[in-house]
Amino acid sequence: MSATGRAADVFGSFRARLIATVITLVAVTAGLVAISSYVLVRNSLRGQLVDDAVARAEFNLTVLASAEQLPQDADRAAFEASRLADRFLLRGTGGIYVEFPDGEPFSSSPRLRGAGDLLSTELRDIVAGSSYGYEFLAVDDEPNLVVAGRRPPAGPDFYFFDSAADVESALDQLARVLAIAGAGIVVLGALGAGLIARRVLRPVAVAGEAAGVMAAGDLSVRLPAETNDELGRLAIAFNQMAASLQQQVDALVEAREREQRFVADVSHELRTPLTALVNEAARLRGRFDELPDTDRRVGEMLVADVGRLSDLVEDLLEVSRLDSSSGAPDLLPVDVARFLEAVIADRHPDATLHIDHAIGSVATDRRSLERVVGNLLDNARTHAPGSPVVVTAAVAGGELQIAVADQGPGVPVEALPRIFDRFYKTDSARQGGSGLGLAIAREHARRAGGELTARLGTPAGLVFELRLPVTESLHSGDVAENRRVHDGGEETSHPRSTP
Amino acid sequence: MDATILLVEDDRSIREITKLGLQDAGFRVETAADGEEALTRFRHDQPDLVVLDIMLPKRDGLEVCRAIRAASSVPVVMLTARSDAIDVVVGLESGADDYVTKPFEMPVLVARIRAALRRAQLTDPAETITLGSLRIDVPGHRVTVEDEEVGLTPTEFRLLLELARRPGQVFTRELLLEQVWGYSYLGDSRLVDVAIQRLRAKVEPAPDSPALIETVRGVGYRAGR
Repeated sequence: MSATGRAADVFGSFRARLIATVITLVAVTAGLVAISSYVLVRNSLRGQLVDDAVARAEFNLTVLASAEQLPQDADRAAFEASRLADRFLLRGTGGIYVEFPDGEPFSSSPRLRGAGDLLSTELRDIVAGSSYGYEFLAVDDEPNLVVAGRRPPAGPDFYFFDSAADVESALDQLARVLAIAGAGIVVLGALGAGLIARRVLRPVAVAGEAAGVMAAGDLSVRLPAETNDELGRLAIAFNQMAASLQQQVDALVEAREREQRFVADVSHELRTPLTALVNEAARLRGRFDELPDTDRRVGEMLVADVGRLSDLVEDLLEVSRLDSSSGAPDLLPVDVARFLEAVIADRHPDATLHIDHAIGSVATDRRSLERVVGNLLDNARTHAPGSPVVVTAAVAGGELQIAVADQGPGVPVEALPRIFDRFYKTDSARQGGSGLGLAIAREHARRAGGELTARLGTPAGLVFELRLPVTESLHSGDVAENRRVHDGGEETSHPRSTP
Repeated sequence: MDATILLVEDDRSIREITKLGLQDAGFRVETAADGEEALTRFRHDQPDLVVLDIMLPKRDGLEVCRAIRAASSVPVVMLTARSDAIDVVVGLESGADDYVTKPFEMPVLVARIRAALRRAQLTDPAETITLGSLRIDVPGHRVTVEDEEVGLTPTEFRLLLELARRPGQVFTRELLLEQVWGYSYLGDSRLVDVAIQRLRAKVEPAPDSPALIETVRGVGYRAGR
């Protein structure tokens, strides 16, 4: 998973958490407001209803009932005779239910005939204590307020029924309105939370992307510092960091380039006197016979040292070239067998080549390949003098595998990881080579997209292995690979220049 | 072989020791130490081949090479201090036939000079080859495009001849390096690519969409049938 992918996930879940939190807060708040308003309104409406009904009941029992001289312990017949029921009803009571100490209870309408079964024991207890009580109950599915009181000291007990339908339906409607409004507020809250989350998180997402771009190596990326808040300051800090990083990297790159240029210039300047030296030494070599023995030894040393110096400068130039160029591999078809034969003839003619001649051609960077194999052969010649050297080559699994094995002294096993380091020389190898050949070989192997490794051989010596991904190059059948007759019938079988 | 070589090199030590080496190899050698002197000597001595350093005072080797090419097809072997960079390609594009990298050893330089001279001095059997509107008079080393003579260097002529003798056959760069330049398998294939470019510029009616000398991607070149 890429870095930006992970960042997106983090933002995604953070955003979800933010939205969920806001929705919860809004829902709880809206719920609390709705419920408390409902309770307030209900209490107020019902309280009004109860107050009116209780006041009426008190009036009925204390004023009307006593005024009409309803006898204490009156029975149903006495009550009906007093015609109090009609007067109560005239004063606005919805219905009357009366229980007498003995005898049948009275009800003002058939609807209330069974009302005695509906009444709660709590209400009856209150009434038995000679207090006024009330409760809400449904009669035939219609909400009613019952206010009850006793004619002291022992009855009868009066139950005044008033319809609460208006209040209750108003409360139901209120509840519905509040529920809808609450749901609406939650939805609005969710939308708002989404918007806010996007607004808040967009700069964070932008910053995340910018950091990703920067991590990928583009230090020129900057954040827009539009606001003066925390995010604005984050953008400014980010930009300062990027600018300072870029500055430092630029300075490093410049220093590195300067250094590389210097090495290249030095090596280049060395080439001119070296060219003269090499040829002067070569000329001297042809005249050794004319020198006295002592001078001759000096001459031989001079010639050998000029050769070493020349190799060293060559390798230094190669290294500076490798450091400064990042060139893509230059893929050309290479006939592996012929190529290896040619490199061996050029660099270590005594080496043996084991190759499956069916390999044919592969497309690869031949200059790099020549450097790798050539330097490995040079290395074998210098550090394993006289030892048999075997080069094997095979193509398997899209890889060209070339091994160069010698039977020389090898290196101590602990030196193995370091032999590709620049200027690394084992104690026994102090005399020969520039110390750069293997480093150059490995760098060229990498450049061509491959890998160069070393291991100890059995029973002795070193084995270098190159693994190089290649595509097999298909020769069309019409390619001229055969030798042909040149001027005047002279067969040029292997027209090699002989440097 | 008593060919005359003009050796242009500003470093005195290299000039002297190289002159000695070339004389040992049997050449007559004239020398010049800067670009101006090189052109004067070139006109005066009529050398068979020029060995030309690139870094020269007054007029650099590339300029000298272009000036020589404007007037003559004499082979030019370039001495370069940097084998990697644009030096080689630019040198070849300015008309050099071959190059040797410093520090060179005398046998290498002598081999390159002999190969270049051989291209110029080959005597060919009487033969005329036609390739589209192109006519190659082989022994006369003359090439005409629609009856108009085209000036080719010996290297360009050999390269064209090599391809034209077997039209339709694909030549790898390595084979051309062997056949034309006399290199082993390990020669620098840029020599071939640049020479093909120059050749196309001279003989192709439309060098950007070559019809006479075709590139076969990933393999090499062939003459169109």
